[in-house]
Amino acid sequence: MQEPKKTTPSRGLQFAVFTMFGAALSAAQQPAVAILQKQCGSCHGASQMSGFDVRERDALLRGGKRGAAVTPGKPADSLLLRAIKRDGDLKMPPGKSALTSKEVALIEAWIGVGAPWDSTAAKTESTWWSFQTPKLPAVPLPRNMKWVRNPIDQFVIAKLEDKGLKPVANASKLSLARRVYFDLHGLPPTPREVEAFVNDTSPDAYKNLLDKLLASPRYGERWGRNWLDVVRYADTGGYETDVLYSNAWRYRDYVIRSFNEDKPYTEFVKEQIAADEIWPDNLDLNGGYELPKDKLANLNRRLGTGLYTVGPMAVEYTFFGDQYRAEWQAEAVETTSSAFLGLTMGCARCHDHKFDPLSQRDYYRMAAVFAGSEDREIPIVSQMGVFEYTRYQTRLVIADQIKERLMAIDGRKGAKRPATPASKDERETLLRQLGDAYLKAPVMFPKASVLAHSEMVPDSHVLLRGEFKQKGEQVSPGFPGALGVTAKITEPHRRKALAEWLTSPQHPLLARVMVNRIWQGHFGRGIVATSNDFGRQGDAPTHPELLDWLAVEFAAQGYSMKALHRLMMLSNTYQMSSEPNEANSMVDADNRFLWRMNRRRLQAEELRDSVLASSGALNMKMTGPPVAVPLSEEEKAGMRDPTQWPVHPDVAEHNRRSVYLYVKRSFRLPMFEAFDQPDAVASCARRESSTVAPQALTLMNSDFMLKQAAQLAERLRKDNSNDPAKLIEAGSRIAFGRAPKVDEAKRAAAFLERNDLAALCLLWFNTNEYLYVD
Amino acid sequence: MSIDLDRRNFLSRSGLGFGSLAASYLLNAAEVTNPLAARKPMLPATAKNIIFLFMHGGPSHLETFDPKPLLERLNGQPVPDSFGDVQLQFSTFKSVPILASRRKFKKYGQAGIEVSDVFPHVAAHADKLAVIRSCQHDGFTHTAALNWLNNGWPRLGRPSVGSWVTYGLGSESENLPAFVVMLDGGIKSGPPVYGSGFLPAAYQGTVLRNGPAPILNVQPPAARGSANQKDFRELLQWQNQQHLTARGDDTDLAARMASYELAFKMQMAAPELADIAKESDATRKLYGMDETGTAAFGGKCLLARRLVERGVRFVQLWSGSTTGGGDWDGHAQCDKGIVTMAGKVDKPIAGLLADLESRGLLDSTLVVWGGEFGRTPTSDGSANGGGDSQGRDHNPYGFTIWMAGGGVRGGQVIGSTDEIGLRAVQDPLHVHDLHATMLSLMGLDHEKLTYHFQGRDFRLTDVAGKTDLAARLRT
Repeated sequence: MQEPKKTTPSRGLQFAVFTMFGAALSAAQQPAVAILQKQCGSCHGASQMSGFDVRERDALLRGGKRGAAVTPGKPADSLLLRAIKRDGDLKMPPGKSALTSKEVALIEAWIGVGAPWDSTAAKTESTWWSFQTPKLPAVPLPRNMKWVRNPIDQFVIAKLEDKGLKPVANASKLSLARRVYFDLHGLPPTPREVEAFVNDTSPDAYKNLLDKLLASPRYGERWGRNWLDVVRYADTGGYETDVLYSNAWRYRDYVIRSFNEDKPYTEFVKEQIAADEIWPDNLDLNGGYELPKDKLANLNRRLGTGLYTVGPMAVEYTFFGDQYRAEWQAEAVETTSSAFLGLTMGCARCHDHKFDPLSQRDYYRMAAVFAGSEDREIPIVSQMGVFEYTRYQTRLVIADQIKERLMAIDGRKGAKRPATPASKDERETLLRQLGDAYLKAPVMFPKASVLAHSEMVPDSHVLLRGEFKQKGEQVSPGFPGALGVTAKITEPHRRKALAEWLTSPQHPLLARVMVNRIWQGHFGRGIVATSNDFGRQGDAPTHPELLDWLAVEFAAQGYSMKALHRLMMLSNTYQMSSEPNEANSMVDADNRFLWRMNRRRLQAEELRDSVLASSGALNMKMTGPPVAVPLSEEEKAGMRDPTQWPVHPDVAEHNRRSVYLYVKRSFRLPMFEAFDQPDAVASCARRESSTVAPQALTLMNSDFMLKQAAQLAERLRKDNSNDPAKLIEAGSRIAFGRAPKVDEAKRAAAFLERNDLAALCLLWFNTNEYLYVD
Repeated sequence: MSIDLDRRNFLSRSGLGFGSLAASYLLNAAEVTNPLAARKPMLPATAKNIIFLFMHGGPSHLETFDPKPLLERLNGQPVPDSFGDVQLQFSTFKSVPILASRRKFKKYGQAGIEVSDVFPHVAAHADKLAVIRSCQHDGFTHTAALNWLNNGWPRLGRPSVGSWVTYGLGSESENLPAFVVMLDGGIKSGPPVYGSGFLPAAYQGTVLRNGPAPILNVQPPAARGSANQKDFRELLQWQNQQHLTARGDDTDLAARMASYELAFKMQMAAPELADIAKESDATRKLYGMDETGTAAFGGKCLLARRLVERGVRFVQLWSGSTTGGGDWDGHAQCDKGIVTMAGKVDKPIAGLLADLESRGLLDSTLVVWGGEFGRTPTSDGSANGGGDSQGRDHNPYGFTIWMAGGGVRGGQVIGSTDEIGLRAVQDPLHVHDLHATMLSLMGLDHEKLTYHFQGRDFRLTDVAGKTDLAARLRT
């Protein structure tokens, strides 16, 4: 990328030199900076011996305990040069390992031209595996080709053979049915669905089932929820005010729709980062009541930029405009890098990343990409529609006037006039009129929160220690040089350049990171277990060649996520059972090399949705504003203001799928919190799966569970009269997808002699068989 | 460790019909996966438990533990220029006058620590208190300040102090949560202040209420009597055992079975914890439970003692609420508010200190009193914050916290604020230092208590925190 030549007054001279000598100089500076890093970095890097740190220009110039180390332009006055020339008290590096005269000369020349520093240049040449563009690897030829169903299996079994591991047998059709329904829909199969699959003996039965499940809108709800974890989605801002983002749900629905439409991943990325710059929607106003089709299409894309309008935001940031901007940009950088790059750039907010070649400058150049952008509420109906919605707002004017009068009558705080006597009749009449005015008042026209360009583009600076008041070097927008890919910024479309940079076919991370997320969703652990960290602190891939093969294949399939699901799920690797094997466990107890399928516990939302599905109460309605479900007084403990939990008046809404429930950043639904729902403060790479007693208490005693158990009992009775054997069989089929075994049925019947059916239903919901997917 | 033996005994006695093989899986699973298993401290510890008394809203140090006679002389005058400027939430520091305190201070105990007349009962324990008058941070809004004090960082997402402590030390209690929170109502920034942030959910604070069902969902529904409870437990665990046997070696499944055993035990232990019928009248009186004004907080303090007795690691008590009953946020009529709020907690806190001491628990229990910040020496005459000429704005730049017990030597005052009580000047103690100190007293090295998240080893004290105070507190 071309670095725009901007200067700051204080650095004018240095940059003038830089510009005059241009490319010749930048070639000359690199060895000097590299020599310093190599020869001095082990003591004067992270360990900062004598307070001296050579990793950043500012620190290098400032020096350590002995004072300034480098005076730009004046080699003779620079302590550093005297030390490496060994012509004073201080001789560095200590001992016999003096720099060569050529090295000294290079550093001297470099100080002479002003000690220019381009940290990206200094660190560009990264050999780290994940920073290299994935190349199509050779598919291995394992001994056991009979086991292989598709290339994934060749990679997996070749590795198993290499490690002396043997794949276990394939899963039963029942296990497989439960696995695919939960993996793709987050819901259990109904007894009829299990039966249909088990009885379908055609060779394409399994493939057909996958196609059917991928075509269902339930798929987008499940995988949309996974993505919402990655982008820290919530309906409120958190902190003291915990402001309501009343349009956030349009982004949530956009995500679900995108998965259901099988939108190519690159397009999905581009839309979220820069739809407004790539597909402008400020087209002409043709169309009257209806939005023109192309405008509507582009508006729908732009809803993706809602990603950057639903992050955490604290009221105190608004005390200083600079801070508000800095915090928003920082949040944007960190979410972008975690979600799309699989890198932890957060470290570089305060200092250069200690492990990855990401400098603090890289961080603020990325932040500068978001400078000049801001969130904005826009109408998503035609201009005519806006007029239609607003023409009756006179009713709201009347309502305000009635409210004013009522407050005066009641002598309430905030009334503009003192209490005035009024007849009871007048008050009653006013209340009726008020209700009437509100009922007839138009709802506000539909709006969405999206990204837009602000009136002015603020300068961007490195912020020392991440503090907004401590402005360092001015920076222009750009992308981490270590990743090798470049993109040209055409002002003012900075985000467009970011989107193009990310989705460039040469980009080393984008495809790998997403392929890995989908793999994690199916196998319980990513090929890189730290799915938000592909850097040096992250885990090494267990199957690096497979990861690359998948990344290349993903691109070849037009970045279709559904194609990727199909590919993974059609592999024999995916269809293995989760049964134990002692010999394998001795070698690979954690099943890193996939000699079996990993068993997993249902996630919080899957659990709630499953219980509702089993009881028959699940409301399949899609889309729309978030729903707050009722909470007991005990459950509301600690909530700042219970009026900020707007329980939906329609009880049918309380049984919606969990992805549509209200996500309040300062208050998680207690059941979800108990089952490890992330806190929506930062991108969540992978959910915890904890096992603690409060989970058992929730499942045994909470109002929600008791209600659903009673509901299931009622459902069973309706279908099976009162014959205990029939009730037990039907219940077992709903809960586990199978008929009860003989002794199970016997014990359940004995239980029913002393306890009611709802208690048995509750018990089923509490079993490990219900909670885990084999 | 004794805990493991107890668990082994419990399981062999449980009579649930597990095969010996299965029982050993269960035991291993419980040992390997129980995140709350007690762990040895890293360093020599003087405290085993913490009771954190949190005065929500920001109690004025100027009306309680930090007398400033100069305020009386300057009352109504602008702040002298020598004190500089600070950022406040509602008022503009340079535009509001000094507000004198109406409280009378007296010297208490052998050490002669000055305490105001709103805390006469606590003051009687002056020789147990180490009063730190030089606490500070930079969060001038409630959320930032609440997060600072409770999570060690002004932004959301970090684990709370209680979470870090239980993460570091586990719990000595087998059938109660390790980290217990007693609320007074809503919190200005909501539950994240006792949340586990990025730590596993096992370390989050559990809210405890008064009454027979003190923990959420701990009470089995009335519809299932005790006989049914036995049926339920036996059939559930039998069913789980069948499932586990068919799957052989899965420690997660075994751990979940163990978690149900713990849940059943909690169901029995919680009512016993809450049943204070056996406490003597003298004890109740000590906590002020016989008087309407102090009964509520007194009950919580008594429960705190009972929790610590039962090995609960970290107990946090909140005074002040957003949902009724008032708080310590003295924007308007600061003096009046302090008198009211201190009146609710003074006798109960004194009772707690006395009771812990008489039962030999004070030596091993660190009691910490404080809030998210102190108050300004100036009046909060701002129009936009609802403050008034008798109110005080938020002051995170200098405020008081005190500690007692847990190996802390009482009868000492540490640090000081400037002459008007605005900024900490002598021995300033940043919140990071406070946390490092608390961890140190518990035998935890704040630099080594880390959790890897988002590419980095996080600490309660971020990249700061000094522990020199711990040594001073102990001697």
